[in-house]
Amino acid sequence: MTAGVPAIQLDHVSRWYGNVVAVNDVSFALGPGVTGLLGPNGAGKTTLLHLLAGLLAPSAGAVRVAGRPAFGDPSIYRFVGLVPEREAVPDYLTGREFVRLNADLQGLGDPGAATDRAIGTVELGDAADRPIGTYSKGMRQRIKLASALVHEPRILLLDEPFNGMDPRQRLHMMDLLRRMAAEGRAILFSSHILEEVERLAEAVLVVYAGRLAASGDFRSIRRLMTDRPHRFTIRSSDDRGLAAALLAHPAVFGLELLDGRLAVQASDLTGFARGIAPIARSAGIRLYELTATDDTLESVFSYLVRR
Amino acid sequence: MTAFRALTVVTLRALLGRRRTLLIALLGGLPILVAVLIRVGGGRPDAAPILDTLVIRTVLPLVALVLGTAALGSEIDDGTVIFQLLKPIARWRIALAKTSVAAGMTAALVLPPMVVTGLLLGGINPTSIGLAGGFTIAALVGGIAYAVGFTALGLVTSRALIVGLGYTLIWEGVLAGILEGTRFLSIRQATLGVAASLTGRDVGVEPLTPTVSLVILAAVVVTGFAIATLRLRRFQVRAAD
Repeated sequence: MTAGVPAIQLDHVSRWYGNVVAVNDVSFALGPGVTGLLGPNGAGKTTLLHLLAGLLAPSAGAVRVAGRPAFGDPSIYRFVGLVPEREAVPDYLTGREFVRLNADLQGLGDPGAATDRAIGTVELGDAADRPIGTYSKGMRQRIKLASALVHEPRILLLDEPFNGMDPRQRLHMMDLLRRMAAEGRAILFSSHILEEVERLAEAVLVVYAGRLAASGDFRSIRRLMTDRPHRFTIRSSDDRGLAAALLAHPAVFGLELLDGRLAVQASDLTGFARGIAPIARSAGIRLYELTATDDTLESVFSYLVRR
Repeated sequence: MTAFRALTVVTLRALLGRRRTLLIALLGGLPILVAVLIRVGGGRPDAAPILDTLVIRTVLPLVALVLGTAALGSEIDDGTVIFQLLKPIARWRIALAKTSVAAGMTAALVLPPMVVTGLLLGGINPTSIGLAGGFTIAALVGGIAYAVGFTALGLVTSRALIVGLGYTLIWEGVLAGILEGTRFLSIRQATLGVAASLTGRDVGVEPLTPTVSLVILAAVVVTGFAIATLRLRRFQVRAAD
């Protein structure tokens, strides 16, 4: 990789299928480190990873890995590894045979040693000689990772790598990816789970409906997410009295009396959550129910896109 | 192991692991069964019509169709092709590995039964050996053309099995008898042309000359290989999300 050239670069990239737009005018550049590609299912994460892996041609714009066009140049696979989510692995091979096959197909100098190293890295030594057909989902993920690591790529793309893993495997995988990033590799992994991205990624790309909704370090994106307006509905012993009391709270900027409920809009989630109980108590009002009405990831993403 | 050998081995293993391959191996052995039944029944007819009608017109294209479309088409369908494509291997090498395996397997399943059938019916004598040998060589070159053509077809359409069956049954089977001109676009007619010139036997239609036959078969192989290579170069996964 030439110094100064981003490991991964997308320049106004769009990809559509017929008249369905999967990726819409996305631009970003990444260097070494772990980056999370966060978005709900169907946001275009897999399409983006497939574009980067040269498995899809962009309909518009340019996709480059290590300065080269990603599509139509098999030589990029010397330094790119992809762990796909859905693509099947041949069940009739053992884990070791599969990794060895990948080493052979890479044309490595010592494929046997590379195979052992990759299997050791994902800690699958005990199960390596069993057919992949007998593996759990987490084990399949790990053998796929081993096969993508066997040539020690400088750019590693992973599609939902934590799916199907138990918590211990998840932690191990996170450690592993962190270690590899520390060695100077560029790692991009997709996830629809906020917590996974938060724990692992130094930088985050948020995609929603094919668009890049936000990018940056995790803290700034987290702040965007907590500062957005939150909606709650409350049932209490005295909705009107509670509304009057809440109006004084600095985080509250909208109140509506509905049929038997009180709808509240608040800006600061933590401030509001801390304040609500004492306010009700001092007004002598009992709270029966407090529901966040839009706290789904979907609404977080759509908020980020609207900003 | 070199990348090319690894590709060949994995393709072979994938093919051998499919149930379809077992069924098609049974089909390959069908002519022997027919020959045995004829002998047991006391008959000893001319081997040529059996080798022509049963093997070259029926068994050969069907075996090549199933194996050719499975060599790449099935791997695309189940997604296992991805880990082979994510490698720094020139696409023509992948096309060569896949078509070679399809052609080699077709030959392995069709030719030995053909020799056995010919000798069972004709006995072991120079005439019979010459006849079986001539048909076997014709089936070899025809089988290569069929296998390469059907492998390429597997990259062009996901309905390769149906399209290939239509080509074999309708184009080669029905139209060849009605429209004389279709002979030049028929792998079967080219294969029969080779067989006729090697054995001097009547193959039911006015045969193509050996030169024309070989040109047609070579054109199918070259075009099929080129299409497979180009399709692999422009290969894209299907819509994911």
